[in-house]
Amino acid sequence: MIAVGAILAVTGATIGLGLYGVRLARTTSDLFVASRAITPWWNAAAISGEYLSAASFLGIAGLQMKLGSGALWLPLGFTAGYLALLLFVAAPLRRFGAYTISDFAEARLRAPRIRVLAAVVVLLIAGFYLVPQLKGAGLTLGEVTGAPYWVGVLAVGAVVALNVASGGMRGITYVQAFQYWMKTFAIALPACLLLIHLGGLPERAAMFGQELPRAGDAGLVVALDEPQRVTFPEATAYAVDGVAGRAERGEELTLPAGELSLPPDAVVPVAEGIEAQTGEDWARPVESSGPSSPVFVYSLLLATFLGTMGLPHILVRFYTNPDGPAARRTTVRVLGLLALFYAFPVVYGALGRVLVPELYVTGATDSVVLRLPEAAWPGLGGELLGALVAAGAFAAFMSTASGLMVSVAGTISFDLWRGAAGVGTRRRRFRLAALGGVVVPVALALVARGLDISVLVGWAFALAASTFCPLLLLGIWWEGLTARGAAIGLVTGAVLATGAIFAGLALEDGHPTVNALLTQPAVISVPVAFAVMVAVSLADRPRRRAADAELLALHAPEGLGLGLEPDEGEVVSART
Amino acid sequence: MNRTPRDELAEATEHGGLYLRRLIRAQLGLSTVALVTFGALVGALPLALLLLPGLQDVFVLGVPLPIFIIAWPPFPLFIAIAVLYARRAAALEESFRDLVEPRD
Repeated sequence: MIAVGAILAVTGATIGLGLYGVRLARTTSDLFVASRAITPWWNAAAISGEYLSAASFLGIAGLQMKLGSGALWLPLGFTAGYLALLLFVAAPLRRFGAYTISDFAEARLRAPRIRVLAAVVVLLIAGFYLVPQLKGAGLTLGEVTGAPYWVGVLAVGAVVALNVASGGMRGITYVQAFQYWMKTFAIALPACLLLIHLGGLPERAAMFGQELPRAGDAGLVVALDEPQRVTFPEATAYAVDGVAGRAERGEELTLPAGELSLPPDAVVPVAEGIEAQTGEDWARPVESSGPSSPVFVYSLLLATFLGTMGLPHILVRFYTNPDGPAARRTTVRVLGLLALFYAFPVVYGALGRVLVPELYVTGATDSVVLRLPEAAWPGLGGELLGALVAAGAFAAFMSTASGLMVSVAGTISFDLWRGAAGVGTRRRRFRLAALGGVVVPVALALVARGLDISVLVGWAFALAASTFCPLLLLGIWWEGLTARGAAIGLVTGAVLATGAIFAGLALEDGHPTVNALLTQPAVISVPVAFAVMVAVSLADRPRRRAADAELLALHAPEGLGLGLEPDEGEVVSART
Repeated sequence: MNRTPRDELAEATEHGGLYLRRLIRAQLGLSTVALVTFGALVGALPLALLLLPGLQDVFVLGVPLPIFIIAWPPFPLFIAIAVLYARRAAALEESFRDLVEPRD
């Protein structure tokens, strides 16, 4: 009940602050001009707030508990992505004054038609990224209230769509900055207390030693909502709703729905798709094969490193920096803030192995962050901390999902919905797009219940890295890029990445390396997309036109009267 | 008439293009150096951990060294690279500014 109150408070605060912020912004007539007074620290907190999603809050620890320490490459990549953004994109893109990738593509290549293509890719990426946020919502609400999974998905989908449609969350920096500190506090406080707990934990062997996860001294009781297919790594007795049974070592069984109880110290059975690992195997961040194989790790690092710059809801935020150097200062601070946040999920992943082994039975390891406080401290203390993490999780997917919905609605209503329109029509289209755009992700989230949040987010990064990353890098740094090269490269990258992901879903078993590449195709799709863009642009050379004006706008330092000075920023976007 | 580098740039003459491309190349070079530094340090990590399984038996603060290495130390490293890069990039822009608009 405390948790429900905390969630409602966070949701209410987000909507309230958003609406209040819009009123504030209207009085200054221009949202963007208003936000130019914002300091790099505020901006950085806002970017981090929008970035830290269900994948960071719940997914990392969940995947770490399930697969092992290989999941720890995720936060590394999520953060390193901002280094790539800093080194190659932040300052030039801010100077150019384009604040969506579609704007950038159209203005840099002087080709209006590429805008439509970029818009389609934006929708794909945002779709892939929205699904795990909604999944997180369904999961959290279910954990807290016992409501069925679909209730949370539908509820949060509706709240976010209505919120965006009503004009709340429209790039309000202060709301997002607030969300960052809220999330960091919510994950840090229980983690610090848990670390103290870890010092006195006797079950260290199950974490890093030779042992498999076991039921505690008092045995273990697990509620199974539906029949559950499990594998018993060791022989043990068990009972479901009082009906006793015995499983042999390595036996695969389908347990009926009901209350599974295991005797004290029994090795817990694991759900389908999970491999029982000894603490030692579990603690290895890289293995020669399997889900932590080097191919997979490198592919994941590449996707996250290069994919961050292509996330549609993140780039928009950089526009609130006054100039290029400020964009750089902001990015440096983002790295610091993310480093602070990512120090903590690892604590949950490791302790979950010992304190909530029942999640191995149900396979719902994505709930580990939500479950851990109450498992560690039964009673009021645990309940309060549990409410805190639930509220933090809600802040995580509310902020990310709202940011994504703004991008989706903007893309549909502005880039894809053709035809002249006045301000009133535009606003109506934006609202309709926000309400309509949420339908597909909600439907997909209902289907994708069994997939890990981190895996789903990994796809969004792979897609962004295979499409917008080459477009941005080549567009900013290479004058030879042509519209045709960019277009064909975008299509190639998008088709390769999505094709591999869906093929991976369809193919059940296969060679481990092939599987790893299908789950995380970046290591192939990114170089191919780059190569295609360069090759087609080179072949297109006769039709190339000088891009001096664009290069000047991208790279000339401020204060020289060259390029676009900050206050003319809108010129490029409005040039259409 | 005496044309300054600024005019050349603003009028997009051949000379102006030369100045601009020199700046872009310098910036790209700097970014690449930072990227290679990052790549050498972080990119080598997975391979190093794979090839040195013995690290698994070394414990730091109660945690196996490989987990410890990837969970915390890379982050300050990112920040250090970022700070150094941002400083150098600003300096490059400053010298470009001096070239274009010499202050006497």
